[in-house]
Amino acid sequence: MTDITIIGMLMEHWVSIIGIILGGICIAVGVHFVPVGGAPAAMAQATGIGTGTVQLAAGSGLTGLLAAGYMYMTLSAAGTPGISEVILICATGAVGAMIMITVTMLVGNWVYIYGVGVPPASAKVDHDPITGDSQAPYVAPGTVGQGMPTVCFVSGAIGGLLGGLGGSLVYCMLMWVNGDAAISSIFAIGVFLVNAVLPSYNIQGTIEGFHDPKFKRVPKAVLACFIASLLCGIIAVIIPGMSAFGGV
Amino acid sequence: MEPAMGMGLVALMGAAATVAGCSEDLESDIGSQSNPNSQVQLAAQVGYPHRIFNKAISGEPPSNAMYCAVGAGVAMVLIQSVNASPLLAIAIGAFVAALLNGVFSTTAYMGRNASQTRFNQYVYLDVLRNQLLSLMGHAYITTFCIVGLSYVMWHHDLIGHPFPFPVIAMIWGLAVGAIGSSTGDVHYGAEREFQDFKFGAGLNAADSGNITRFAEAGIRSSMDNAWFCSKFGGPVTGIAFGMTVFLDNWRSTAFSGWTAVVVGSAIVLALIIYNRQIETYARKKYGPYPEYAGDIEA
Amino acid sequence: MSEPAETANQVDAKGIVVGLVGIYIAGISGIPYLAFLAGIGAIFATKMGADAVRRVCSYGIGTGVPSIGMLALGMGIIAAMFGLAIGKMYKAVFIGPIVGLVLALVIGFVVGSLTNKVIKLNIPVMERCLTEIAGAGVLVLTGFSVMVAGSMDFTVIVEKVITTGYIAPIFILGALGILHPFNASLGPDETQDRTLVHAYSCGAIAMVIGGVCSIAVIDPIAGIISIVIGLAIWYATFMGFVRLVKRDAGAGYVGTGLLPPGAM
Repeated sequence: MTDITIIGMLMEHWVSIIGIILGGICIAVGVHFVPVGGAPAAMAQATGIGTGTVQLAAGSGLTGLLAAGYMYMTLSAAGTPGISEVILICATGAVGAMIMITVTMLVGNWVYIYGVGVPPASAKVDHDPITGDSQAPYVAPGTVGQGMPTVCFVSGAIGGLLGGLGGSLVYCMLMWVNGDAAISSIFAIGVFLVNAVLPSYNIQGTIEGFHDPKFKRVPKAVLACFIASLLCGIIAVIIPGMSAFGGV
Repeated sequence: MEPAMGMGLVALMGAAATVAGCSEDLESDIGSQSNPNSQVQLAAQVGYPHRIFNKAISGEPPSNAMYCAVGAGVAMVLIQSVNASPLLAIAIGAFVAALLNGVFSTTAYMGRNASQTRFNQYVYLDVLRNQLLSLMGHAYITTFCIVGLSYVMWHHDLIGHPFPFPVIAMIWGLAVGAIGSSTGDVHYGAEREFQDFKFGAGLNAADSGNITRFAEAGIRSSMDNAWFCSKFGGPVTGIAFGMTVFLDNWRSTAFSGWTAVVVGSAIVLALIIYNRQIETYARKKYGPYPEYAGDIEA
Repeated sequence: MSEPAETANQVDAKGIVVGLVGIYIAGISGIPYLAFLAGIGAIFATKMGADAVRRVCSYGIGTGVPSIGMLALGMGIIAAMFGLAIGKMYKAVFIGPIVGLVLALVIGFVVGSLTNKVIKLNIPVMERCLTEIAGAGVLVLTGFSVMVAGSMDFTVIVEKVITTGYIAPIFILGALGILHPFNASLGPDETQDRTLVHAYSCGAIAMVIGGVCSIAVIDPIAGIISIVIGLAIWYATFMGFVRLVKRDAGAGYVGTGLLPPGAM
């Protein structure tokens, strides 16, 4: 068994640290794109998906992670995946997360339209920036919008894309370090949660998507997540896999 | 693996996921979990004590992730140590998870209502007893289906996913909770909880906490909520989760490499277009709100 | 919220000391029958985390109680495994839990400062509470991992707890143990002793499930010892919780009945 030192691991895996930071920032920005209305949205009282930021980001990002993990295994049959394979894996993860989040938003809109009887409308803008439809007349009195109009839907899809991309990137980077799907998956979940919670404090409960004035707060979350991912990245790449200790 | 076999497994997983999504939503409706819970919690504070079950187990996604991870963990122990048959092991795992659901629901109901004593909110033991078995039953179905589909995904002779079995179950549990709280719960929170208000609008902020506390005859119980939500909210949650599991696995089983990515993107695009269509349908059908007084053209 | 019966410092001291002692006895002795002590340490750590959640969440943190625990456990899992791996790398297994704990405290403090200074959440107790929750997260995860594996050796834990996936129930039950006690008692008449008794009982549930998992990986008898002790702690604390509910609900603890007078 060769000696493994902290410095040695850091020198060898500095690329992975950068990858983990990039992944973390993708997740942080992605969370801002997801239209979440929090508790009020569950009463059709606010525009967006009726659940918490972290929950939804984690649900979609980790669904993407499952797809990415499977793809990594398929590709690694031909040797350790390089950069081009990593891009494919991240794209797979991103699309997996997008499917989850778009299906959720679509069925959410079914419930708003057929179950509650409201047209989707945003209260933050007068006209939908994508379709140009007027929004204010369709906002029910005493509420701040309901459902997911097209702009929120597209924004949510982008959010899923970034979240899935970030989660898969973190996973790939960890796989480069320790080569163990079990360790990498659970660490990727850990890094994902850290980078999903910090932006959710930045959003403070609700955001409608990229057209929301709160979206301007993104730089603060990026800075916070940069530091947090840097810390997590440095620590995570020092942890070697079983093979480094001569195990199975 | 043969393509036909792969498709069959994906279809099986989709079917299990549909059942799981439906029962997950009904479980959270009976217990008033997740976001509609905020109104149940608020009701007593604004002077409307009630006999609705009030539980919050750290949000729907973590609690469902817990049931599924525990179910898978116990099943794995049985498979590893006594070589139990997978179906039996999963059933026992789901049973243990249902027991945990019962314990956590009990403490949540008692704890929350006891913390609202000053608002005259009682701890009704019969509410607890009546609802508890139904909650546990629904949690059992959810856990059984999700642990089952995770087993199919994990087993090396079937799909052969590299993540450990309980981790896969935990991720799907998190996903089903996230989907349930964003789709089916809206039907409970926006419609059933405020059923004596006019149909066709969300909750006016001025009416916050004024939940429907009386039923057709007598005082409304949470069991009635499952009856109502099983007509629409539950099944659509099932469709959402089933669709997620099916579409995502279908594209990676039937296609490979970049083709799978392109097919996935096409699915997303189709969903965006379909969403636009139902949005226009709703705007035409319902029209603008008559109370609107601003100057923007509808 | 009423006046606390136990101050934050007392809860922290008990959590850290009992947590570490339990983990060390279980890990160093190498006797599988003592593995349950790590679980008992983790129960005290759970209580420490639950008390910190209770203090920080009495301020509105904007996005629900659960997020803060997921944050802490996310950091905790990485820090815990780092500590154990360092112990293995430098061939000094016994430094593992302490390194993990110190590191988690540092990350917790940094992230707490980030939320206050960069994101400007401006919650005065944020730094301290996040530090405590992260520390509790590490102790809970290390404690239950050591209990399941019966060893503090990184390779043994990876092989028996992570590769098999038993880390998933430990991770999420540890998180719920920290989050659920306060979340389940949310309301103006919440009392500290009731919340903390509940924290013990949630920790005991995690211990029972951990015991079930350890049946498959270490000795079945060691697993059964953990299960029986966990169940005993759970029964005692659950009954204590019900008693405190009765005390706090007063006349409102009824078998059945219509709505209170004036509300019909």
